[in-house]
Amino acid sequence: MCAAIIPAVEVEGLVKNYGKVEALCGIDLTVGAGELFALLGPNGAGKTTLFSILSTLRAPTAGRARVLGHDVVAERDTVRRSIGIVFQEPAIEQSLSVRDNLRLIGSLYGLKSSDVRRRAEELLAKLQLTEAAGRKARTLSGGQRRRVELARALVTDPGVLFLDEATLGLDVDARRGFWKHVRGLANTGRAVVFATHYMEEAEVADRIALIADGRIVALDTPQALKARMGGGVIRLRTEDDARAREWLTGRGYAPAGAREILLEQNDPASVVPILLRELPMRVERVEVHAPSLEDVFLKLTGRGLEDEVPASEGKKGGWR
Amino acid sequence: MRGVWAIVVLDLKRFLQERARLVAGLMQPLLYLFVLGAGLGASIQHGGADYRKFIFPGVVGLALLFTATFAAITIVFDRQIGFFKAVLVSPVSRAAIGVGKVAAGALQAMMQGVVLLLFAPLVGVHLGVVEVLAVLGAMLLAALTFSAIGVALASRFTSTTVFPIMSNAVLLPMFFMSGAMYPLAPAPHWLKALAHLDPVAYAVDLMRQALLGSGPGIAFFPVWLDIAVLVGVTLILTWAAVRVFARGEEVNLGPTAFPWRK
Repeated sequence: MCAAIIPAVEVEGLVKNYGKVEALCGIDLTVGAGELFALLGPNGAGKTTLFSILSTLRAPTAGRARVLGHDVVAERDTVRRSIGIVFQEPAIEQSLSVRDNLRLIGSLYGLKSSDVRRRAEELLAKLQLTEAAGRKARTLSGGQRRRVELARALVTDPGVLFLDEATLGLDVDARRGFWKHVRGLANTGRAVVFATHYMEEAEVADRIALIADGRIVALDTPQALKARMGGGVIRLRTEDDARAREWLTGRGYAPAGAREILLEQNDPASVVPILLRELPMRVERVEVHAPSLEDVFLKLTGRGLEDEVPASEGKKGGWR
Repeated sequence: MRGVWAIVVLDLKRFLQERARLVAGLMQPLLYLFVLGAGLGASIQHGGADYRKFIFPGVVGLALLFTATFAAITIVFDRQIGFFKAVLVSPVSRAAIGVGKVAAGALQAMMQGVVLLLFAPLVGVHLGVVEVLAVLGAMLLAALTFSAIGVALASRFTSTTVFPIMSNAVLLPMFFMSGAMYPLAPAPHWLKALAHLDPVAYAVDLMRQALLGSGPGIAFFPVWLDIAVLVGVTLILTWAAVRVFARGEEVNLGPTAFPWRK
């Protein structure tokens, strides 16, 4: 008889309300061991709230969540011992050296100092931070700080790693290096769940949950999600998009997208000449490309991943 | 215990890195002692004793009060930058966070207080070994109480700008009502009544009795009452802060945090 495999993360019907506002409206998902799992959605979609619940910083209003089989409400301490998390905001002490930051976390987790020292040195070497180990955190570059954040999250050797918009503010090279490290972590059997609103970051995941307005609108592999869009996508901008949409709808097309017209087609190359010839208004721009996650998101939600949320969304006191 | 120790070590490292804070924290008490004390002392004699000698315990109390309370600003600062989240997601108990923060603030205040004690002979307070031990004990209890006041306040604030303003609004009246700068016995009834509600009054009274004895005009409360009130206030306020820490992030997010979502 085979032993049951415990998922790294299990979420069932998770709801979180802030007063009358529903931040999460019934999230269901499962993440397996060694899986690199992305939560892709725009700012304000509920990703950070979900992470806050999974990391025991907030309690759900309804539903349940387990990490490595432990309930995030009833078994908080066990969950806290099982996870590592990189927050959007810096969570390292700026006045301490890199090495002291890692040792501090080890002390908070009650680890033996010899174990923490050994683990810290391993991580510093792996993340190319050995030379910076004695420097105060405030003197590091943005990329180094993010790597220190990653080392901080890993120093306790967690079974599950959460990354919440962990590459915010990094340049392309630093991001690439960061994700290379993360991919390596998942390859060693550790589950990694990360939140992002960058489509290209989500592409590295084994599976992606598209999240909008506190709901998961689709969950699958990147390839399967993109396959939902058919052969290709036509992006169209005209001098009068509203009239163009009416015209397209009247001829059996299904225009999607909010800022520009999006047409999902099995054979876009044959459709474009027809559109250019027959559309009764001037076409300002037309693009044909293979489906992207952005297209999938646009199709499912009518909004783009990079869409700015209203100004009223601003963070409250630095907490989200 | 390791969690408490980790928090204490972190805060002490930060404090010792800011040596200017250590020096600046001594300026106000020394001004009270040597400038205000000299000015007022010329016209005030308290029971035949030098006025500066009388206010010395109150001045030590002032240093302890402000250093211990403002030490808690690290909670607000850490919360603002996000570092406090790293503490809250660790398995260290919320009680250990509260106790660690109170202990760290008290130790920082003790460092200031011990430096001030060195000025005792200059104002005519001569201490033997017993008096030194007694006053150190009294100072530690006072520092723990003041630190607990700071931690309880800081646990509810998210702005490093607002916290000092609010703290001053609470601490200054407590200090002026405490009898630190004048004897409470001849004070008006309303002021004496308020002093009974003021933890700083019990702390100053305890330190005054440890430094100057319990003769007439010195002691206002019995020593046992001073100790009982200070221990009680420390426990209650630490517990209140621990309860806030136990709520994780929930404490900081109001119902309007997602106003864009209908």
